[in-house]
Amino acid sequence: MEYLLECRNIAKSFGGVQALKGVDFTLRPGEVHALVGENGAGKSTLIKIISGALLPDRGEIFYMGQPVRIDSPRKAQEIGISTVYQEPLVYGELSVLENIFLGREIRTPWGNIDWRKEEEKARFLFASLGLPHHFLREPMGELSVGLQQLVLIAKALVYEAKVIIFDEPTAILTEHETERLFNIIHKLRERGVGIIYISHRLEEIFRIADRVTVMRDGEVKGEFPIGAIDRAKIVELMAGKLLVEEIARKRFRGDKPLLSVRGLTKRPRFFDISFDLFPGEILGFFGLVGSGRTDVAQSLFGLLPPEAGEVVFNGSKVRFSSPEEAMSAGVAYLPEDRKVQGLFPIQSVAYNISVTVLRELVRRLGIVDTRKERDLAEKHVRELNIKTPNLRTRVYSLSGGNQQKVVLAKWLSVTPKLLILDEPTRGIDVASKSEIHNLIAQLADQGLGVMVISSELPEILKMSDRVIVMHEGRITGIFEGSEKTAENIIRAATGERMVVSGGVRA
Amino acid sequence: MKQIIDQIVENRVLFLLVLFVILFVIFAASVRGFFTFYNLTNMTQYGVELGLLALAEMLVILSGGGGIDLSVGSMLTIVAMIIGVLIGRVGVYPSLAILLGLCAGVGMGYLNGVLVSYTKILPFIVTLASLYIYKSLALIIAVDPRFGPNPMPVSNFPESFYFVGQYRIGGIPFQVLCIFIPVVLLLYLLLEKSVFGRYLYGVGSNERAALFSGINVERVRVTVYTLSGLLSALSGWIITSRIASARPDIGTGYELQAITIAVLGGVSIKGGEGKIGGVVLGIAIITLLYNGMQLAGIHQIWQLGSLGVVLVGSVLLNQMLLARRKI
Amino acid sequence: MTDERLRRIIRRREFTVLGLIVVLIVFFSLTTERFMSVSNLSNLLLQLAGTAISAIGMTMVIITGGIDVSVGSTLGMASVVAGKFLMGGYSPLLVLFAAIGVGLLIGLFNGALIAWGNIPPIIVTLGMMSILRSLMYQLLGGRWISGIPPAIRVIGLGKWLGVPISMWVTILLIAFFTYFLSSRPLGRAVYAVGNNPEAARISGIDLKRTLLFVYAVLGALAGFAGLVYVARTGIVQTNTGSGFELEVIAAVVLGGTSILGGRGTVIGSLLGAFLVGIIKNGMVLLNVPALSEGLVIGVLIILSVMIDVIRARGERV
Repeated sequence: MEYLLECRNIAKSFGGVQALKGVDFTLRPGEVHALVGENGAGKSTLIKIISGALLPDRGEIFYMGQPVRIDSPRKAQEIGISTVYQEPLVYGELSVLENIFLGREIRTPWGNIDWRKEEEKARFLFASLGLPHHFLREPMGELSVGLQQLVLIAKALVYEAKVIIFDEPTAILTEHETERLFNIIHKLRERGVGIIYISHRLEEIFRIADRVTVMRDGEVKGEFPIGAIDRAKIVELMAGKLLVEEIARKRFRGDKPLLSVRGLTKRPRFFDISFDLFPGEILGFFGLVGSGRTDVAQSLFGLLPPEAGEVVFNGSKVRFSSPEEAMSAGVAYLPEDRKVQGLFPIQSVAYNISVTVLRELVRRLGIVDTRKERDLAEKHVRELNIKTPNLRTRVYSLSGGNQQKVVLAKWLSVTPKLLILDEPTRGIDVASKSEIHNLIAQLADQGLGVMVISSELPEILKMSDRVIVMHEGRITGIFEGSEKTAENIIRAATGERMVVSGGVRA
Repeated sequence: MKQIIDQIVENRVLFLLVLFVILFVIFAASVRGFFTFYNLTNMTQYGVELGLLALAEMLVILSGGGGIDLSVGSMLTIVAMIIGVLIGRVGVYPSLAILLGLCAGVGMGYLNGVLVSYTKILPFIVTLASLYIYKSLALIIAVDPRFGPNPMPVSNFPESFYFVGQYRIGGIPFQVLCIFIPVVLLLYLLLEKSVFGRYLYGVGSNERAALFSGINVERVRVTVYTLSGLLSALSGWIITSRIASARPDIGTGYELQAITIAVLGGVSIKGGEGKIGGVVLGIAIITLLYNGMQLAGIHQIWQLGSLGVVLVGSVLLNQMLLARRKI
Repeated sequence: MTDERLRRIIRRREFTVLGLIVVLIVFFSLTTERFMSVSNLSNLLLQLAGTAISAIGMTMVIITGGIDVSVGSTLGMASVVAGKFLMGGYSPLLVLFAAIGVGLLIGLFNGALIAWGNIPPIIVTLGMMSILRSLMYQLLGGRWISGIPPAIRVIGLGKWLGVPISMWVTILLIAFFTYFLSSRPLGRAVYAVGNNPEAARISGIDLKRTLLFVYAVLGALAGFAGLVYVARTGIVQTNTGSGFELEVIAAVVLGGTSILGGRGTVIGSLLGAFLVGIIKNGMVLLNVPALSEGLVIGVLIILSVMIDVIRARGERV
C-alpha cells in the first residue's frame, strides 16, 4: 500500500457549475501534502468530499487500499480522517478533556466515564506532542483559537486518525501559535500520519510540505515534490493565463478625492491604513480572509470605531459611530455575509429593497407611502433584472444571485456617494455575476466612488481601476495600470512587501 | 382543492379564519342562545382584557432575540391596584388616577425594555424577575394599614368609574368600541404602515442585518416593551372597571394565556413573523370558544384545556402540512 | 495551579449563591429567635423538597436549551392521581408508582412533541399546562381531596435523624443526578446537545432521544414531587401547583444554569431552591409581610444574572 488515501477522477458540480472536473489526489503515510489555489479553484470542495461533508458526483476514493464511501463527517472521523477547521467546532462550555473524548469516552467497568484514565491518556498525548497540559480541565471556550486547534488535533489522535486535514489553520493564529503548530505537524509526520495542508501562505508551504498540488478552475494544474518547484512557479500556476475580461468603462475620474483615509488603525485588526478614493473610481481591495479588508470597510461604515487616524469624506472630516450616521452622510456598505448581515430572509422583496430609505418614503406621521415603496422596489427589480414572482415574495425563496441583487438594490436605494461592496458576487451564478459587474461599472461611471472587496482575483482584475492589497492588517501593495497583474497581487497578498505605487504615503 | 389547502397552510390568517367560521357554525347550530345579538355583543367584552395582553405579547415576540414578556399579568395587577387605591382609599379624581396608572404601566414596560436592550440579559429572565417584582409591589400597595398587614381588594368606586367596563353604546360594550377597536386599528397602522413597524419586523427577523441597515435595534426593543406595559395597564384599568373591584391577585396566570393566543395567532416564537390580523382572529377564536362552552354548560375550567389543545393542535397541524408540502 | 482551581471555584455561580445563603442564615439567626429552631428548620426543609426535586429535572431540560412551564400542572396532576388512589385505599407503593407514572407519561408526551414534532418547547409545555389544569378539574369534579390516610403522610412529614424523609430523598436524588450528569455518557450528552447541537450530531449523539429523555425525567420527578406535596399538605385542589413552574425555573436560573443551554449543575439548582426558601421563611419570621418576598426574589434573579453578564462581557446569558 503506497498511498494512505487516493482520490481518482473526482467530479462535483453545483447547479450547473463544475467545481471539480475529475481531480486526482494522493496522500502517503507520514507526508505533508499542501493544496494551494486561488478561491474558487476547488480546494474546499475536494476537502469537503474527503471529510464526508459532500458526496462526489463521480470518482472513487480509496482509503488504505480499500474503496470507501464517506457519507458523513462522522463516518470520516470513525475511519480515521479528521479535519481541523480554521474556526474549530467545539463545545465552549465543556472542559478540554471532554471536547477530546465526547462520543468516544473511556469507561469504567460500570459504564461510568473514567475521567482519570481520560486525563492520563490526554496528558500522554499532549506530552508526546510537546504540548502543555495544565488546561485539560478548563472550559474549552476560555482557550485561544490556536490552543483549540491543538486540542482538536489531540482529539483526532484519540480517534486514531491516519489522515488529518488542516484547512487554512494559520489564518487567525499568532506567530508563536503558528510555530507551535508546525512543530506538532512535524511530530505527526514522524508518527506516520498523512497530512493535507491548505494554505494561502506560500512561505509556510515551503517550510513544512513534502509535496504540493496546485489547483485552478476545478482541475489539478500540477503536482510537485517541494524541492522541484519554487515560489514563482507556484504563483504562475495559480494565476494561470487568467482570462481577464474587459469591462466597458467611461473611466471618468474626479480630481478631488471623495474619500481620504490617513493612518487608520484598530489594533489588532488593521494598522496605518492610508489611501484616497476618487469619484468615478473603482478601488479593488484584495487580501486573504483575516487580512483586515472587511474590518477597514466596517470601520468606514461606523461599525468598528478606529483607535487612530482620520477620515475625510466629501470634503469634511468624519467619525461615524453608527451605520445610521454613515448612511445619512452617503456611505453604503454591502456586507460580505449575505444571509447573516444583508438580508431579512423571511421578509418580502419590496421590504428588503426599501428598508434603508423608509424615512424618505413617509407620507406623514411616520406612515409609509406604500405606493412610493412599491414604485421604488419595482424600479430596482426592473433595473437590476431581479427575477422574482412578485414584490411580495419572501427573499429566502429566490436564488443566490437574485438575493444578492436584492441586497445591492437595498443599498442603491439610499443613492450613496460611496458604495462599499464586500464580496459582491460570492456564491452566485455566472450570469448574475456579470450582470452585477456591469452594474458596478455603470455606477462608477455615474460618479460614485466604489470600493470592491473580493477574494477572487479575476474579479479584482476585471473591476478595479486600482488595487490595494492587504496582508495581516497592513497595506502591502497598491497597483494600477501595467503593474496591476495577477502575479504582483498574489505576491503582495502572500506577505511580500511590494513597492507601493500610485498610492498615497501618509 | 390542493391549491386551496396550500393557501390555507401558507397563510395563517386564512387558516384561523376558517377555524373561526367552523367554530361559529358549530356553536350557532348546536348551542341554544349563542346566535343572539345580546350574546354575540356581550361576549366581546370578555375578550378585551386578555386580548390587549395578547397584543402586547405579539409586539414583544415580534421583536425577536428571544422576546417574551412574562410580566404582563403582574403589570396589569399593579395598575389595577394603583388605580383602585388612588380612587378608593386616597380619594383622587378617577381620571387622574387612571392617568397615573397608565403612566406606571409605561414606566414598568420601559424598565423591562432597558434591561433587555442594554444589559443583554435574555428577555425570559428579565421579565421572569419583573413578574415577581411587580406582583410583589402590587401586594404591598394593596395593604391598607387601617385594617392590618394583609393586602386587601378595593371596591368602593364612584359610579362614574364603571362606565368603561360596564356600559354599552348601541348594544356594543364601551371597552370594545372605544378602546379595543381603536387600539387594534392603531397597532395595525403601526405594524403594517409605519416606519417603526417595518423596523420592528426587520429587527425581529434578522438583528444583524437590521444593524447593518442602519436600524437602531435597542430603540426598537425598548419601544415594544414600553408598549407592552401600556397595553397591560389599559387592560388593568378595564378589568377593574368591569368587575368593580381591584384585587391584588387579579392578573395571575394571564401571561401564559396571552402568549398562547399570540402564538396561536401565528406569531413566530423566533420573531419577525406574524400579522395583527392573525392575533385578532386568535383572540376572537378563544373568546368564541370560551363563550360557546359556557353556554353549552361546560365548566369554565375547560376553557383553559381547550386553549391548550387548540394551541398545540394548530401548531402541530401546521408543521405536518408544511412538511408534507415540502416533500 | 491550586490557586487557579480555587479561583475557578470562587468564580462559579454556585459559590456566589452559597455565600448568599450563609449570609442570610447568619442574618436571620441574629435577627430572629425562631429561625435556628429545630421546628423551623425542618419546616423549611419540608417546603423545599418539592421544589428541589423538580428543579433537578428542570436543570437538565434547561441545559439542553429547552424549558418546561408545565411542571406545576404535572405536579398538580400527579397529586390528584395520588390523592384519588390513596382515598381508594390502594397500597402506598402502588400510589408511588402511579404518581411517578403519570408524571413520566406527561413528560414523554412533551418530549415526543418537542423532539419529533419539531415544536418549540415553550409552546408544547404551555399547551400541556392548560390541558392538565382542565383534566385536574374534571378528575376532582370541582371538589377538594382531604383526609389523606396517615400511612402515606410519612413521606411528607416523617423524619429520620431530625431531617424530613422527603429531604433525604431529595439529597439522594441530587447525589444520583450529580453523578449521572458528571459521569455517565448520557449525562454528558445532555450538556453536549445544549452546547453545540451540530457538533453533538457529529460526535454520534442522538439529539431526539436525548431530548425525550430529559423531558421524561422532569415529568417523573415532578410526579414524585406531587406525591410529596400530597403527603405533606394532605390536601389536593384544582389549583395545586399553579405558579410552581415559575418558582422552579427561578431556582434553576438563580443556581447558575444558563437559559441558553449548555451550562448548569443540579447542586446549583438545589442551592437556588434553598436561597428562595430561606428568603421566604426568614421574611415571615422577621414579620416582613410575605408580600415583598417576590420583590427580593426578582431583584436577586436580575442581580445574579447581571454578575454573569459583566463577567462574560457582552455575551448573552
